[in-house]
Amino acid sequence: MAELQGLGAALSEAERAGVEVVAVSPDRNEQSQRLADGLRMGYRFVADPDLAVTRQYGLLHRGGGPRGQDVPRPATLVLDRDGVIRWLSLSDNYQIRPDPADVVRAVRAL
Amino acid sequence: MSLALALLSVVVSVGTVIGYASLLGVPAVRNHPEGYVAAFAIAATIAGLAVALRRRWPAWVALGVALVLLAGGGYVNFVMARIPPAPTMVRVGERAADFTLPDAMGRPISLRDFRGHKPVVLVFYRGHW
Repeated sequence: MAELQGLGAALSEAERAGVEVVAVSPDRNEQSQRLADGLRMGYRFVADPDLAVTRQYGLLHRGGGPRGQDVPRPATLVLDRDGVIRWLSLSDNYQIRPDPADVVRAVRAL
Repeated sequence: MSLALALLSVVVSVGTVIGYASLLGVPAVRNHPEGYVAAFAIAATIAGLAVALRRRWPAWVALGVALVLLAGGGYVNFVMARIPPAPTMVRVGERAADFTLPDAMGRPISLRDFRGHKPVVLVFYRGHW
């Protein structure tokens, strides 16, 4: 969540309206959505409980969860209006998440 | 002197734990996890110096605390948090595969809904921090 919260703060209100932030997680997300709505960030949380989309994107971290279950590896993608990937952040250490300032720069560069 | 060094070592150890945990939201801190490993190594070195000066229990305690944190922190950063290399389907310049997933209200959301309208920041995350 840390990177998501930072992203909301780094975007101006007008920019938040002009870009869709879609957060994919294995959770059911009601709680995350309430949190984001409370912070008025305009994120959309979508649930991928069986990790089908995560697998389709090749972003599965096998056995990486706290109980040895498969989880998504942290990834942030910036897509332009045509759905083409224009910027990408992938890490080989799950503690490391992109700096929201870099994500915002990538969005502004579109 | 030995007691002062032991105390300094504990301050560095505990300060690193509290500092890192409370600054997780700051990218410069979060994205340099090797920093806390280095800090624990410094704390262990200071405590080792304290033990060398005078073999009294405060120095041993400080050394024990620093070594446990160093081993734990090293394990988390260099073993546990590593994501093994795996082929990914995402490349800059390629179109992101379309998908439809339910949002928090259960409404289906498709990536193609935004095509032609808005850029999308797509974040895959684990559910916690």
